[in-house]
Amino acid sequence: MVDVSQHELVPDHSIVDEDVLDDVLEEYNIKKTDLPKIKRTDPATPDEAEVGDVIKIVRNSRTTDQAVVYRLVVS
Amino acid sequence: MSAQQTPKSISSISFGLMDPEEYRDMSATKVITADTYDDDGFPIDMGLMDPRLGVIDPGLECKTCGKHSGSCNGHFGHIELAAPVIHVGFNKLIRRLLRGTCRECSRLCLDEREREEFEDRLERSEELGKDVNDVTKAAIRQARKKDRCPFCGEPQYDIKHEKPTTYYEVQDVLSSEYSQRIVAAMEPDEEAGRERTTPSELADETGIDPSRVQEIISGEFRPRQDDRRAIESALDVDLTEEDENKLMPSDIRDWFEDIPDEDVEVLGMKPARSRPEWMILTVLPVPPVTARPSITLDNGQRSEDDLTHKLVDIIRINQRFMENREAGAPQLIIEDLWELLQYHVTTFMDNEISGTPPARHRSGRPLKTLSQRLKGKEGRFRGSLSGKRVNFSARTVISPDPTLSLNEVGVPDRVAKEMTQTMNVNERNLDNARRYVANGPEAHPGANYVKRPDGRRLKVTEKNCEELAEKVEPGWEVSRHMIDGDIIIFNRQPSLHRMSIMAHEVVVMPYKTFRLNTTVCPPYNADFDGDEMNMHALQNEEARAEARVLMRVQEQILSPRFGENIIGAIQDHISGTYLLTHTNPEFNETQALDLLRATRIDELPPESGVDDDGTPYWTGRDIFSELLPDDLDLTFTSEAGDDVIIEEGQLVEGTIDDSAVGGFGGEIVDIITKEYSNTRARIFVNEIAALAMRSIMHFGFSIGIDDESVPEAAEAQITEAIDNAYDRVEELIETYERGELESLPGRTVDETLEMKIMQTLGKARDSAGDIAGDHFDDDNPAVVMAESGARGSMLNLTQMAGCVGQQAVRGERINRGYEDRTLSHFKQNDLSSDAHGFVEASYRSGLNPKEFFFHAMGGREGLVDTAVRTSKSGYLQRRLINALSELEAQYDGTVRDTSDNIVQFEFGEDGTSPVQVSSNEETPVDVEEIADSVLDAEFESESIKSEFLGERTEPTNLSEHTDDWWMAEGDD
Repeated sequence: MVDVSQHELVPDHSIVDEDVLDDVLEEYNIKKTDLPKIKRTDPATPDEAEVGDVIKIVRNSRTTDQAVVYRLVVS
Repeated sequence: MSAQQTPKSISSISFGLMDPEEYRDMSATKVITADTYDDDGFPIDMGLMDPRLGVIDPGLECKTCGKHSGSCNGHFGHIELAAPVIHVGFNKLIRRLLRGTCRECSRLCLDEREREEFEDRLERSEELGKDVNDVTKAAIRQARKKDRCPFCGEPQYDIKHEKPTTYYEVQDVLSSEYSQRIVAAMEPDEEAGRERTTPSELADETGIDPSRVQEIISGEFRPRQDDRRAIESALDVDLTEEDENKLMPSDIRDWFEDIPDEDVEVLGMKPARSRPEWMILTVLPVPPVTARPSITLDNGQRSEDDLTHKLVDIIRINQRFMENREAGAPQLIIEDLWELLQYHVTTFMDNEISGTPPARHRSGRPLKTLSQRLKGKEGRFRGSLSGKRVNFSARTVISPDPTLSLNEVGVPDRVAKEMTQTMNVNERNLDNARRYVANGPEAHPGANYVKRPDGRRLKVTEKNCEELAEKVEPGWEVSRHMIDGDIIIFNRQPSLHRMSIMAHEVVVMPYKTFRLNTTVCPPYNADFDGDEMNMHALQNEEARAEARVLMRVQEQILSPRFGENIIGAIQDHISGTYLLTHTNPEFNETQALDLLRATRIDELPPESGVDDDGTPYWTGRDIFSELLPDDLDLTFTSEAGDDVIIEEGQLVEGTIDDSAVGGFGGEIVDIITKEYSNTRARIFVNEIAALAMRSIMHFGFSIGIDDESVPEAAEAQITEAIDNAYDRVEELIETYERGELESLPGRTVDETLEMKIMQTLGKARDSAGDIAGDHFDDDNPAVVMAESGARGSMLNLTQMAGCVGQQAVRGERINRGYEDRTLSHFKQNDLSSDAHGFVEASYRSGLNPKEFFFHAMGGREGLVDTAVRTSKSGYLQRRLINALSELEAQYDGTVRDTSDNIVQFEFGEDGTSPVQVSSNEETPVDVEEIADSVLDAEFESESIKSEFLGERTEPTNLSEHTDDWWMAEGDD
């Protein structure tokens, strides 16, 4: 099977720690459910991620080098 | 808050069902009479026009609130329905509830575990903002699977729904021919290897009394349910048939009343606000008369609203229903009346339900009832609330005026006299205000109305204007005519991007059209073949200020779509600058001044050189350079292919064409906008357009049929080239017919042949074009336009002078028409080029009839394609806009929707606006901004920084008139 997370076009997906997550949510003044969503079954979600976890995605950007996005894992 | 005032903010809205008690509480009167007015023309008490329901006739007083027509909003009444009826709007929900709950105990047919699961899912769905309906639907589906109620054990039957409002329970009942079926099953059957069953055996097996078995077999006794089951299992037969048991609305209402609150919640309803039984109507609210006003016709007859007609029907049937029931009419009659009542209540709410004939007016026109008032393009939402007709707007044909600035718009005087602006009179504008009023409504800078401080509005007329002018004092308001310099909003449909609506400054002009500078045609996508545009006069200071600062045309020079300028020189402007700079011609002093006379340059620079006989001359490039900022440095490659070099605001070398000053990314316009200012760019574009018009008029520019003719020798060459191609095509066909043509990978031989023929003929056209092109001079107008990028291309020129080439339908040579041939002029299966739409002629020489026909085929396809494309993309755009319209960039940099869900963490992932970022591919980052921030960190205060860097005065963002002053201050 192809592991898409190794593909060069797939940006880095990592699980956000609980305490870091609180900072993120506070920064944007939101609840976890206001984040964009990602499916548990999405090939890019890390295997150990569970429903309710938050994934941090770091993309390369032509204009800002790195663009960070958070997503909530849903079933 | 008085009822007059509109509430300032709405903190929350909740939707739910309405309690019949609430209908009664808010009702001003019970309505029992189906008539409206009595013989004397007075509304009947407790009739449909009861004065307690509100007033529509001016002068009368509302019996409920005491207010007069206009201020009284009207009051609801109610009709007590003789029997409950179903609300059509909820027929789906009713069906779901019937299917999901027990017919006996009304509880939701889910066990504890399932309930919890669905409660959880419901909660999560709500949190994530998903569609709650998906969960409740799944819950019903689960509950429907149960054969028996998990609580009371009652068997559940399937519910059949006959649209729109009839529900049946599908039950298994004992078949009427049960005895025959039993006897048949007791007979021996050799095929199935079954022996005869005697009645006594049957009695033994089922445990029924033998005499009773006899009675059952003879059909004298109907077996009870458990007996039936026993016989069925003993004999292996089915003794039942399906029977539909109609559920009356009253049954459904009783059923729903028993559904416990907890169960209602699992189905996504809030029982405190909406109990399911409220979906069955027992009381019908009667809309106030203000919602269904009756109108008096010319002949004095009253004509009632459609809703009133419908209500009359409902009350009549209701009355009849009650009378019949009291008289003890047979059940059949009652049921008929009940159905009729249901029909009228249904069509009262929605008259376009499939399966029910629409209720009609006496004239045969279907009635417009409640949901028809709301639905669709002309309905309340799309027609009256999201879009409505506006005041202070004008629409007329547009025409070009190159003398206007691109910020301006020429407004016809008769429009200016109608669209007024409000002047708040004070000491300083008192004299002006009086002058406007004194001019009256007919003379141009006049006034139409004045408003006294006490709020009284007076119309200014020819008769009273002089008199009124003297009365105007500070504190009055004067509605004066629009004058030069006022700001307005200008728009052309379809409004596909933000540049479709821009603010312009008014220039009042004679005649009847709006006048535009031609450089603003691309953003509006306007031309002058009869296009009309809309103008909106702004009515308060905030709007005017906002329009001036944000919406003025010069602020829209850069397009957010691609980050480059969308406004710039077009068409003849480009031909003009090309002629001026391409060969760098020389001009004497008079000519040079004439070229520059429509710009702000009124002194010539030092001469470029001196003639043989001693007269000084100025070159085209030097004249062009006068318009550039003094410190501009720039190099790029032009459309014409040469390198353009600008040093210190001087055009040293190169041709100025589309890629330099054109719209859609002309380098010079782009750079000036980004590195200087929008104001500087506007001045530049205006002056380029003026200079270009002067220069194209100096040289003269026209095109005629002779400009596309080529010498005979060239014509012969072209014919030869095409003949050669014909020969090659013939060869190809021969090889194919011999079966020797080798197919290309992945294609059949036929496809290969087609491809090769297309290729050969394509080459033939190109070489014809090349030959023709070689014989055109560089000053040929068509060549100038194609080279400079002003209009047309070399391909267009090839088709005019050389050969039109292969016509195609669906990307292939023309293959349709008759059996095995395109036209009856050809032999069948003729593969040659002229039988499949190759047009050898040029547009100049003219096409022969066969060629003309093929050309028309290709042309038609193009037309159909554009028509289909615009409608498809228009719909796609509408849907996209509707889907994205609620997204908003927040102050914290995120993009969120209205319920605070984050869509982007940083606008566009980088938080930059496309118009602020450099459009350069290699350096997508705004270096200037970064340099600025470094400098800011370096210097302690603004004053030290400006001391070090020197100052550049920035223009104010006010008006054309103040900018002239700024340009005069500046040094370029």
